[in-house]
Amino acid sequence: MKTFEEKWTAWLDGQLSGRELIEFESSLPDLAAAKVEKRDAQKLGAFLKRELGAQTMSNEEFFSHQLRERIARETEDPSRGREARSTWWTVPRLVWSGATALALFVIFGIAILRERQPGERSEYLTQILNSKVDPAANPNATVSIFESKNENKVTVLWTEGLQSLPADYAAQ
Amino acid sequence: MELRRLLIAVSVILAIMLVSSADAAHAVWSGLVIAENVPQPAAIPPELTKFEQTLKDLFGYNQFEVIGQSSKTLRTGEEDWLASSKYFALHVDAHGENDSGYALNLKLYKERDILLETEANLSRSSPLVIKGPQVGSGQLLLVLVVKDDEETHHRRHAEPTNPISAGWHRLRKAIHNILP
Repeated sequence: MKTFEEKWTAWLDGQLSGRELIEFESSLPDLAAAKVEKRDAQKLGAFLKRELGAQTMSNEEFFSHQLRERIARETEDPSRGREARSTWWTVPRLVWSGATALALFVIFGIAILRERQPGERSEYLTQILNSKVDPAANPNATVSIFESKNENKVTVLWTEGLQSLPADYAAQ
Repeated sequence: MELRRLLIAVSVILAIMLVSSADAAHAVWSGLVIAENVPQPAAIPPELTKFEQTLKDLFGYNQFEVIGQSSKTLRTGEEDWLASSKYFALHVDAHGENDSGYALNLKLYKERDILLETEANLSRSSPLVIKGPQVGSGQLLLVLVVKDDEETHHRRHAEPTNPISAGWHRLRKAIHNILP
């Protein structure tokens, strides 16, 4: 058993026929107004089909459409694509980074070289912490320590009483 | 693109130079020296030139002849080495580096006998001279010197070197010449 709405839709679409059509039309309170409504609905349907239906393109149209799309994409905003590819290390930034690194290197280099001038003398002197002579071979040996008074700052460990050796021991 | 590659290469080279600048190795020269008075003294060895007069004043000899020597570059400060002649040997054992220099243990051997043992802190700016036994008419001296960077570099220049370190030394020299 169809409802009124189903029968109404089928009538609008022209799908009712025979006795069913006669019965439905006779059940309508105002057949003339219903027919006007049916005509409007059919007009609207035809319009929508025409305007919203899939447009089929020929091969030539499709090809030229694709070309136009691509040209439009490439010419629309060239900077957008570049931005997507670029990194933080742009050439100007690299130049500045290199210059900064070079400047830091020179500053540190100068600082290090100033700190270690070849002729520079540190405040420290050589220290003798402990010294012993073999007591068995040199029972009377003594040891003393002093520094030279001149600018060379030579630290001297002075031994006395070591056993003298023959000149042969001076051989290389 | 080429410029970017060049800049990256320069940065890498600078980084290598900075790393190599941290390598502050010193060479310690240790020598067995016979000091004596002779009518015609020979030229003093180059390692002793700086304090030739001090040695002459201290010991009263006019000739200083090296009979054994060793030059050791200290990288870790824990190295040991031997300077030896026919009868004497000086064994040096480094026990590390500190602000004032290198902690060294020195042993003077006469053949197999230890004549003298000393613990010293060898300063980079203060040579150590040890008066050893009388040998004939002369005197045995033990000398230890931390070489200046410049002397070490002169020695290094005589050896084959890689382009980066050679460039670094040239740059250091150039900066050094610019400095007042």
